[in-house]
Amino acid sequence: MKLRPGSLDALLKTLVPAYGPPGRETGVRAALRTVLRGVGRTREDALGNLHLHIPGSGPRLLLVAAMDAPGVIVTRVESGGTARIDLLGGRGAAEAIGSTVLFADGERALVAYDRPASGKEVGALDSSSLYLATGYDKTAASKRFPVGSVGMLEARLDRLGDQWRASSLDNRAGAAAVAAAVLRSGKIPYDLHVIFTAQSELGSRGAMTGAFGVEPEMAVVVELAHVGEAKDQSPVTLGEGPCIGLKEHGYIAHPQALEMARKAAKAARVPIQYLVREEGSSDAGAVRRAGPGVPTVLIAIPARKTGGPDSLVHARDLERTVDLVVRLLATPPAPKPVPRARTPRRGGK
Amino acid sequence: MPAARVAKRSGAPRFEEHFLKAFSNADGPSGWEAPVRELIVGAVRDNVDRLEVDAMGNLVARIEPSGGRSRRGAPHVMLCAHMDEVGFMVTAVEKDGRLRFRKVGGIDPRILLGQVFRVGQNGARGVVGVLPAHLLTNNDMNKVIPIEELFLDIGAASREEALQAISIGDLVAFDTTYESAGRVRKGKAFDDRVGCAVLASLVQKRPPVPVTAVWTVQEEIGTRGAAAAARRVAPDLAIVLEGTASGESPGVSPEEQQPRMGGGPTITIQDRSLMADARLIDLLEKTAKRRKIPTQWKRPGVGGTDAGRIALSGAGVPAAVVSVACRYIHAPAAYLDIRDPQRVVELVWHALESLRKEWP
Repeated sequence: MKLRPGSLDALLKTLVPAYGPPGRETGVRAALRTVLRGVGRTREDALGNLHLHIPGSGPRLLLVAAMDAPGVIVTRVESGGTARIDLLGGRGAAEAIGSTVLFADGERALVAYDRPASGKEVGALDSSSLYLATGYDKTAASKRFPVGSVGMLEARLDRLGDQWRASSLDNRAGAAAVAAAVLRSGKIPYDLHVIFTAQSELGSRGAMTGAFGVEPEMAVVVELAHVGEAKDQSPVTLGEGPCIGLKEHGYIAHPQALEMARKAAKAARVPIQYLVREEGSSDAGAVRRAGPGVPTVLIAIPARKTGGPDSLVHARDLERTVDLVVRLLATPPAPKPVPRARTPRRGGK
Repeated sequence: MPAARVAKRSGAPRFEEHFLKAFSNADGPSGWEAPVRELIVGAVRDNVDRLEVDAMGNLVARIEPSGGRSRRGAPHVMLCAHMDEVGFMVTAVEKDGRLRFRKVGGIDPRILLGQVFRVGQNGARGVVGVLPAHLLTNNDMNKVIPIEELFLDIGAASREEALQAISIGDLVAFDTTYESAGRVRKGKAFDDRVGCAVLASLVQKRPPVPVTAVWTVQEEIGTRGAAAAARRVAPDLAIVLEGTASGESPGVSPEEQQPRMGGGPTITIQDRSLMADARLIDLLEKTAKRRKIPTQWKRPGVGGTDAGRIALSGAGVPAAVVSVACRYIHAPAAYLDIRDPQRVVELVWHALESLRKEWP
């Protein structure tokens, strides 16, 4: 079956498994370049972000989605041919156990662990208890998984009922939504910069420098927000529409930007929920603080954790997120109530 | 083979050991790097095109490439080493003349008891007091005394007498003198005076690409100097020169004994502050192979350097770290193998040569 451009199914199938642990986002960058061919000019920057520029006469609008996925780095190879690792992002040691790790050259290994002494819970393990079962002896393992090798938790896309399941949905689902929105958009009344950020799992490093370089007048960040676990008091539900972020660690919504998002949701007939969380963060905080500061909208796709590395995302939420972003991109910039302080354009060679 | 002969053949500058000796013997805990900076100024003044001290206290030197500024496409490289060392600060003086003090930077509290220190600019000597045996309980003997409970004794009989020799706020450095034995050199603050000396040696010769050499301040208390310097220099890429902790130690499994003192330049792939630029690592690896310079990897996941800060400055900067593996850093006396800094000079020099030809 031929899928129309901007089909989420097709985008997810391409983006979810693409190789791209933090700082080594080669595969997903190439996949995005292919998907976005002909839409605008793409380039890679110093931290590995992929930029897409669709020039326009309006104000500079920045659209952001992280593209890296949780990974591991080999810290030493042991005598038995196993390899000790550190985690690059992700949710902690316990959740990584049993994952297959995919390396850039196609090698695979399995995340195993030292069984904790009796009385200690598996959930309390840290990465020092993890190791890679490589299947090789020491000599071969040292050659194939040398110290510093970076791998990604292998991601397989599954459809379970109405929901998508994969370990890289945070934030490949967001990246797919952004790509779909760009592909489906008509004329955009902005000078649009899209950044698929690198190293978000390491503390929004790509977002920090990427947004600084673009100097946007407004930004929209599309992320995943895990909700609905037992301990979480958040009233957010899967399937009830995308969340608009009000507050999370390092981020608080900008009033005018928030209003714009609310109006766009109404116009697009997209039901929305609100995200307020004490823990957890996204690229939104880094973008919000970039340069002289950027009015930023955070759109978070509700997701559920599963105990392992996988996330579940409702297909309807994803479609509605795309609708919302498309509408935001089509909404003409509001007149500014207060003129922004004029800062001379930095840098540039 | 003597280092000097290797250097002559390869065209790289020679590592100047007398820089290391002078820089190591000077005191410069974070925030108080002037004595070290003055020595570096003296060492590089005649060989650079422009030299300035910025508002943070970083020493910034610009050197145009051999063959002139107009080299098309050659990237502007920031080479960086930090001048500060871990130390202490005097926070209060007791009535009886003994000093209370706090850490400046990361220091293992287990190494403090009985150590001799230099306090303040006049170099007053002080020793960290130990309770005499007849006052020590069995319980206290087996515990590490937190720094808040320790005192530094400069031999003053009263607060007034102490304040004639030192001031509250004075910085405190290990009282260690540089020495040689075979290939091993002993000294304090090799993290990062060895990087400072490598960088000062590198700029003795006009580099193949435009270079801004920066000796930074306040690395040990949060890479603060580098943040300001990187914004101002705005380089195309950065290589940070460091002294890092070696892993070899009796009783540690062979796999964990990395990197090794004397094992050649140590290259960082990832630490808590940085995911090193893949192209730069590739460049360093290839250069080392071509020049037959042994290299080793720093254990990923630990530590952090100025490179992390530089990488995130402005719109982002590709960055890497090349270090000399030293035993016992952040402690009174570190060891290094004198072949290693020479190899770092060669590796970085030849990497700069490759950059002249090719940097995408």
